[in-house]
Amino acid sequence: MMVPRVAVLFGFGINCDHETKAVFELAGAEAHRIHVNRFISGDSNLAEFDILAVPGGFSFGDHLGSGRLLGNRMRFAMRDALRDFVDAGKPIIGICNGFQVLVKTGLLPGPDAGQSPDFVQRGSLGLNDSGRYEDRWVTLEFDPNSPCIWTKGMTRMTCPVRHGEGKYIMPTPQALEALSTNHQLTVRYVDPSTAVGEGLSDTALPYPLSPNGSMRNVAGICDATGLVFGLMPHPEANYARWLHPDHTRGTAPVGQGNALDSWEGEGLQMFRNAIEYVKQNR
Amino acid sequence: MRDVRGDVVRRQLHADHGCNVERVRSICGYLIQGETAAEAIAARVDDLFADPIIEHGAANTLFLTTDLFDQTPDIVVTVGFKPGVTDNPGKAATDGYLTLFPEDAGAKISTYTTYAFYGAGEIDPTWLAGTLHNGLIERALVGDSAACQAGMWPALDYPTPPEQVFIQPKTIDLECEDELLEKISFEGLLALNLEEMRAIQAHYRDEEVRALRTTHGISPDAPTDVELECLAQTWSEHCKHKIFASRIHHVDHETGEDTVIDSLFKTHIMTPTHDMQKDVDWLLSVFHDNSGVIAWDDTWSVCMKAETHNSPSALDPYGGAMTGIVGVNRDILGTGLGARPIANTDVFCFGPPNWEGTLPDNLFHPSRVLRGVHAGVRVGGNESGIPTVNGAIVFDDRYIGKPLVYCGTVGIMPRHLPDGRPSHIKTPVAGDIVYMVGGRVGYDGIHGATFSSLELTEESPSSAVQIGDPITQKKMVDMILEARDEGLISCITDNGAGGLSSSIGEMAEYTNGCEIDLATVPLKQAGLSPWEILVSESQERMTVAVRPADQAAFEALADLHEVEATPVATFTSTGMFHVRYGEETVAYLPIEFLHDGVPQLQLESEWTPPHQTPFVTPNEADHNELLSSMLQRPNIASKETWVRQYDHEVIAQTAIKPFVGVERDGPGDAGVIAPLHGDPHGLVISCGIAPRYSDIDAGAMAAAAIDEAVRNAVCVGLDVDKMAGLDNFCWPDPIESVKTPDGRFKLAQLVRANRELERVCRAYRLPCVSGKDSMKNDYGSGKDKISIPPTLLFSLFGDHPDVRNSATSDFKEAGDRIYLVGHSKQELGASELSFMMRERNSDNGIGGNVPLLLNPEQNLATYRQLSSTIHQGWVKTAHDCSEGGLAIALAEMCIGGRIGASVDIDGTGDGDLWARLWGESLGRIVVTVKPEHESDFLATMKGHPTTILGEVTATSVLEMVDGETPLISSDVNELAQAWKGTLDMTGGVA
Repeated sequence: MMVPRVAVLFGFGINCDHETKAVFELAGAEAHRIHVNRFISGDSNLAEFDILAVPGGFSFGDHLGSGRLLGNRMRFAMRDALRDFVDAGKPIIGICNGFQVLVKTGLLPGPDAGQSPDFVQRGSLGLNDSGRYEDRWVTLEFDPNSPCIWTKGMTRMTCPVRHGEGKYIMPTPQALEALSTNHQLTVRYVDPSTAVGEGLSDTALPYPLSPNGSMRNVAGICDATGLVFGLMPHPEANYARWLHPDHTRGTAPVGQGNALDSWEGEGLQMFRNAIEYVKQNR
Repeated sequence: MRDVRGDVVRRQLHADHGCNVERVRSICGYLIQGETAAEAIAARVDDLFADPIIEHGAANTLFLTTDLFDQTPDIVVTVGFKPGVTDNPGKAATDGYLTLFPEDAGAKISTYTTYAFYGAGEIDPTWLAGTLHNGLIERALVGDSAACQAGMWPALDYPTPPEQVFIQPKTIDLECEDELLEKISFEGLLALNLEEMRAIQAHYRDEEVRALRTTHGISPDAPTDVELECLAQTWSEHCKHKIFASRIHHVDHETGEDTVIDSLFKTHIMTPTHDMQKDVDWLLSVFHDNSGVIAWDDTWSVCMKAETHNSPSALDPYGGAMTGIVGVNRDILGTGLGARPIANTDVFCFGPPNWEGTLPDNLFHPSRVLRGVHAGVRVGGNESGIPTVNGAIVFDDRYIGKPLVYCGTVGIMPRHLPDGRPSHIKTPVAGDIVYMVGGRVGYDGIHGATFSSLELTEESPSSAVQIGDPITQKKMVDMILEARDEGLISCITDNGAGGLSSSIGEMAEYTNGCEIDLATVPLKQAGLSPWEILVSESQERMTVAVRPADQAAFEALADLHEVEATPVATFTSTGMFHVRYGEETVAYLPIEFLHDGVPQLQLESEWTPPHQTPFVTPNEADHNELLSSMLQRPNIASKETWVRQYDHEVIAQTAIKPFVGVERDGPGDAGVIAPLHGDPHGLVISCGIAPRYSDIDAGAMAAAAIDEAVRNAVCVGLDVDKMAGLDNFCWPDPIESVKTPDGRFKLAQLVRANRELERVCRAYRLPCVSGKDSMKNDYGSGKDKISIPPTLLFSLFGDHPDVRNSATSDFKEAGDRIYLVGHSKQELGASELSFMMRERNSDNGIGGNVPLLLNPEQNLATYRQLSSTIHQGWVKTAHDCSEGGLAIALAEMCIGGRIGASVDIDGTGDGDLWARLWGESLGRIVVTVKPEHESDFLATMKGHPTTILGEVTATSVLEMVDGETPLISSDVNELAQAWKGTLDMTGGVA
């Protein structure tokens, strides 16, 4: 059986590389931590991988805007390799700082359907309205009609946000509406007291239900193909139920798969989805 | 679009000073020194300096002149760094600039921030600028309303550091009178006492030494400046712990004891641990390395270290605290052949944040210290990708004089490297090449070690303050761990206090010699003198030894990670610490003299119990009011606002977080991590600290700190048979002198604390594996002198067999049965309640019986049983009973579960009602158990003090009675509000 190969980027202050590698492996892939410079120098070849993950962290200390400097290195030094990867229909995920990087490189939300990546920045992530970096658990819901391959079959999940710059912004209402129409606003913060599947709302939720003041409570978006996906919350941090704040209360939600002897957390499914997609589309 | 940077300033002015400004706008400025044409840069502004979607960018303008600022501000303040101060955004900007303009290799960028204030007409612009910058490291320019009207905007120049004057190595004549020796030490900031200066003098009188020196072409009969500075660093209190190593004549006027103690450290800390090492097989490395290492399972070992960074944090709270946390991370990286830092702990002691009294000169208001220290640790920890899993914040008036900033780090490493070497053992041999890795050496950070051994005065040097650079360090950590796994490292240590002089000097003990060439050391700026290069404590550096055959691989790895690594020395077996600057020998000291030449201090200690007016409980009281007031006390109030800004979950391993419960706002007792992904095997990290008790007896303070650390860890499910501790002592100067007339008493406090440390640790089978002391925590002199209360932080790390069976403090479900484990005794002395009553009426005292740990062996047995009930899954709720006693513990448990409880405190011990409700007797834990597990629980706890208190109720009210006497009936949501309000200090999110 084919085992998808995942490149987990690291270097320059990325710091969720170990756990991101681990969750891909728990979900059935073969994952490697690869330093950004190995791709730039040609030491490693991105084309030899099936999935690219840009993990969370503080690349270059978030100075000059989160994701900006690492985004520039990738935009200028890995341009062709990244374009070929996307054109080849291979999935990419950016989590937290990785999402910020993908937005700053222009891979998210990306150009209109049918076009190759043009590396033009179309949206942004600004400082949280609170002005504070915070670590807190949030409740997320997914657009069931999103083309995103990473979130198929997922309705609601909980996991932590850990960021200071997570407020998703589009420059015009028209641009935001276009993403919404295309179902690219894949995942959003919701009020946990709503019924499951009925939480999505365009009206801004109060802090801290929306931890950052994002437009339409957006937590993550995908590109027009649904293969490139980024989100501010950390699904990998809820790979096991023992990481859930409610596990001593006996109420930590159970994940969809059966890894970890019924202790699988809700977040693992997202990584399994991409692995299954690669297996089925090779 | 919202200007969040401006909003933050506006909110803080309101929260800290009650000062209302309508609006604040912010501008991020970049000053570029380079060869690229201004037009070329202007064309790329949106590629680098400004976000094209959410920001406006422009080049060659102050912005305030553009039509984006069509309204004239009332005040404009521009803040930038002073020359030579670490500018991390500037460094990142330079890196990004080189991505765009690679040909402009020599370019440099400095950053500044401008704030424009609207609706601020009543505010003094100079005062405003003072709140926005620290003059020790930053510059501020102010435009007042007249300047704004006139369009005269403040503009900073590029901060060019002054030329460093290279001073040729020189010799210092020590053939002089004692008085002059003392003067040389004092004026040179050497912090060496007369005895030590004489020992150095004697060394250079030795004929053999003189002969040997002559053959190496170095001044035969007098030290060079490099040697004297090197000795001062190596022999500093900070590096040699001279007080803990001293010979103490101790007199106890209470018992009549008159005795001599030869080294507190050896007697009370090292010997007990070495004794315990004979009984267990998991104590791999204790005391001699950068942190203590224990075997965790067959494949992995874990280590822990805690440090203090008090003096730097007093001068620059942000930079001082940041270097504290990233510094202790390097201790872990420098353990064995390199461990990976995986968890941080932070414990702070500050003056009250709401202090309204006067402040001595040069001291910051406690709220500013809190904000700065917190921000430094937050940035240092978060950007390094290390979760902060445990900590505490303690408040006392006396910490205004010197804040305490304890930073701890836990590390993990494979027990054996791929090449088979045990990773906790360093393996250098003569001939190995010594690299300096990471940052460069600068003028910043000269004399840090000696400075921290002096007390804080108005003239304290600013060069002792640095700002950390977590990203440079993160790159280095990534690189070094790869080098370790590839087997390229034979020895590694951190460059901390004393710089290269200490790091290479200490490692040279392994091979018995080294030869350093200071001319090869990369510098931040030209012109540093040889002694400055040797002792500078510039941050983010490790010293790594590599076999000659591995040099190429090591350097290639450094290149890949964009980390600077430069060979600066070679290990030898000559017995000499040999330092050259180019061809010239500038230091030639015997390794033995360098490390063992310092004379032992002879000190006097005298114990007379301090007099304290007894705490007398009032005849009548409204315990509901007391509960609300106690919950609002800074020492008890929720620290959630601050703690939530730490990343406590990166690495995806944190199973018990700092805040727990339905709303995730109940207090966590200890951190639990499961660091191997997919495996629930856990590690518990906790701490204990009880400085109030020192006002009665520092010995009781120490015992309480240790018991609290153990209790906290037991609450989450510690395996008490595998735990290790760290002792971090922060003391006022305990050496009797004109400035410290009560030195004998303060030393006696230290003696008593150490004796209790030994007694309790032996009873708990709890080895101390690493520790540190900071012994000059005073401010000023005479009647204005402020000395901190003697403070021991006890940190603990231990095994947790399976994190799936853990307990948290939040009440779970109505019907759960509540028990108290332990006894409440008549011990209200120095309690938080007594301090509150004294603040309400200064006639009240805080004296009386302080909590004592009379039978720790019994406590351990009880803890072991309780842990097993958690491991069985019977107990899911446990909470330590400490500050504010049972009333506070139960209130916090109700808050965590947002549920009520009905409790009767009758039968919980022989103390009176006040002692049982508010007392802080040690060894007590509140637990709940479901009715179906109650008989199993009670059977396990048989023979151990376990008293039914009541049950969790399907209400929102905490009801407490003492038999027939009603005590408390409080709404849980109101309790939560009281508890969470005091330390919020955010000014909201609007």
